[in-house]
Amino acid sequence: MLIVALDAVTTAALLLIISSGLLIVFGVMKIINFAHAAFITVGAYAALVGARLGLPWVLLVPVAFAAGAACGALAEVTIVRRLYQRPLDAILATWGLGIVIGQIVTLIFGREVQFVQAPITGTIELLGVDYSAYRIAMIGAALVVALVFSALLNGTRLGLSTRAVIMNEMLAQGLGVDSARVRLVTFAIGSGLAALSGALITPLSSVDPNMGVPWLISAFMLVMVSGGSLLTLAVSSLVLGGLQVIVSTFVNPILGGLTIAICAAVVLRVRPEGFARA
Amino acid sequence: MTSRALLASFAFVAATGSALAADPIRIGVPVGLSGANSVVAPSVVQSAELAVEEINAKGGILGRPLALDVADDGSGAAGAQKAFDALIFQKKVNVLISMETSAARNAGLPIVARGKTPYIYTSFYEGKSCSPYLYVNAWVPEQQVPPIVDYFNKEKKAKQYFLIGSDYAFGRGMLSFTKAYIEKTGGKVVGEEYLPMDGSDWTSIISKLKASGADAIVTSTAGGAPNVTLTKQLRAAGVSLPYGNLAVDEGTAKSMGADAADIYISASYVTGIDSAANKKFLAAMGKKFGADLKTPNDLSVPEYEGVYAYKAAVEKAGGTDPQKVLAALSEVSVDGPRGTIKMDKQRHAPLTMYLGQVQADGGVKVIQSFPNVDPGAQCPPKS
Repeated sequence: MLIVALDAVTTAALLLIISSGLLIVFGVMKIINFAHAAFITVGAYAALVGARLGLPWVLLVPVAFAAGAACGALAEVTIVRRLYQRPLDAILATWGLGIVIGQIVTLIFGREVQFVQAPITGTIELLGVDYSAYRIAMIGAALVVALVFSALLNGTRLGLSTRAVIMNEMLAQGLGVDSARVRLVTFAIGSGLAALSGALITPLSSVDPNMGVPWLISAFMLVMVSGGSLLTLAVSSLVLGGLQVIVSTFVNPILGGLTIAICAAVVLRVRPEGFARA
Repeated sequence: MTSRALLASFAFVAATGSALAADPIRIGVPVGLSGANSVVAPSVVQSAELAVEEINAKGGILGRPLALDVADDGSGAAGAQKAFDALIFQKKVNVLISMETSAARNAGLPIVARGKTPYIYTSFYEGKSCSPYLYVNAWVPEQQVPPIVDYFNKEKKAKQYFLIGSDYAFGRGMLSFTKAYIEKTGGKVVGEEYLPMDGSDWTSIISKLKASGADAIVTSTAGGAPNVTLTKQLRAAGVSLPYGNLAVDEGTAKSMGADAADIYISASYVTGIDSAANKKFLAAMGKKFGADLKTPNDLSVPEYEGVYAYKAAVEKAGGTDPQKVLAALSEVSVDGPRGTIKMDKQRHAPLTMYLGQVQADGGVKVIQSFPNVDPGAQCPPKS
């Protein structure tokens, strides 16, 4: 039972790390960034390149963030910026952008699976069971990401402008907030967070040009259900991630893989605002 | 250069020139240059190129040179139909020799039958593909699974097995054979779990494995990512049971580094085979391709031997007439890197299988070899 609980909590932590970048983009811009999966991949390859250059593991994560943020900023200026009034087209465009990024990664690194050495290996004993040390470390990583994320949003000038744009863009513009710049920075941070999550999952995942795709649907569904706030994203990661683990353990892992998508659809049908307080 | 040497080399050029002037025998190689097989396909093409170059350097087959036609089958059914159509009806190849996915092979077989072209399939597969035009020189489950299970039963005293796979034809086919074989040899399967082919989160399966009391694991995932994620997550969870992997090849094991250490694999070819033929083959590959060499493997070496099997069959049949070549293919044997191979068991071949253990440095150490393992009744004659 304890193992199932640990599986549930660590799965939720991973889901939270992976979907936070998607959440910030959706929250500010009201568009779904389907290139999220590609930015996860970019982060993992950035970690790969950094590891090959001999950087220590603690530096790989910021390197990945920077690479993702740079790609994200470029994408915002060239493509996404033109599509804020057309959210449906933005989904198509970012999906296409994801394919392009995947192909560029393939051209540079080839199709084959790559490997990044994990910083923490083996298990630690927790309440009498041996459990993967890296997965436990991911709980801490999720907390750090969440804390930094909320500090950024609630404690800085940029966060204030961002929240103003989220609440009422016209009014914010009227008060002198440069909303185009806010969007650019937000998209870059969202892409950077995606890349950071890509670097963090490398010890558990393979590094290949399509590695981000299996995570995309879960992240998308969680963001939809959460309704746009970090707290509710954490709650929905815990509830739906936990359900996924329970279904996988007690029913069948193939159905487990569908749990998040199906439950999210049901939740949104019954309560369109999801877990957010209406 | 002395004038005599110059003369000799002119004579040589004239001699080979005349041989090469004859109408070439065309070998079609439909292979997955894109899609799932794209990682392994280049090594297959290199094998075929070396075999063709060697045979041409010695005057070809019955005085005719060989020419290769490589076509991309996209690793799937739709691409294979186009590739087979183009090779058989436009390029008019005399034979198809290739390693492909099962989906591509099955899509190509009706076209092969329409074109009445011999087809030597050089990929291991789930077994029981029976076309009169199809010969197979690679392993089937009856040959690959027993070495691992027998070894675990005997040396590791394994009684309770846990099976993990990807949810597709090869994954399920291999594990259902494995399950039957374990039960036949007195063991018990305490769990059998699958993830979809693109699944990468094995968390709950690993927790079930740890709770099941199993003392050995056998896995058969799709190649590439699922194999890697499963192995990494098993290691991260501290699982150190005897671990037999039916889907990992030497190259992948090598690149996985320390995580792959102690995995048991079963194959008809490993680079470490200690025979003169294998050393000669590896040296020739190294010389021809240099830094571009893709490590020869269990999917590419049968391609090399397949070309030689076709050469032997054409020489025995006295020409490229398809029916005569097909009859001759079951009678000729090839001495290659994997030993002496003859496709005389219902168009399949008995093979020497090697049980290998991946070492910490990524190399594969041969623990035991099992000479001439029979493929069993793959295509019993209809009564």
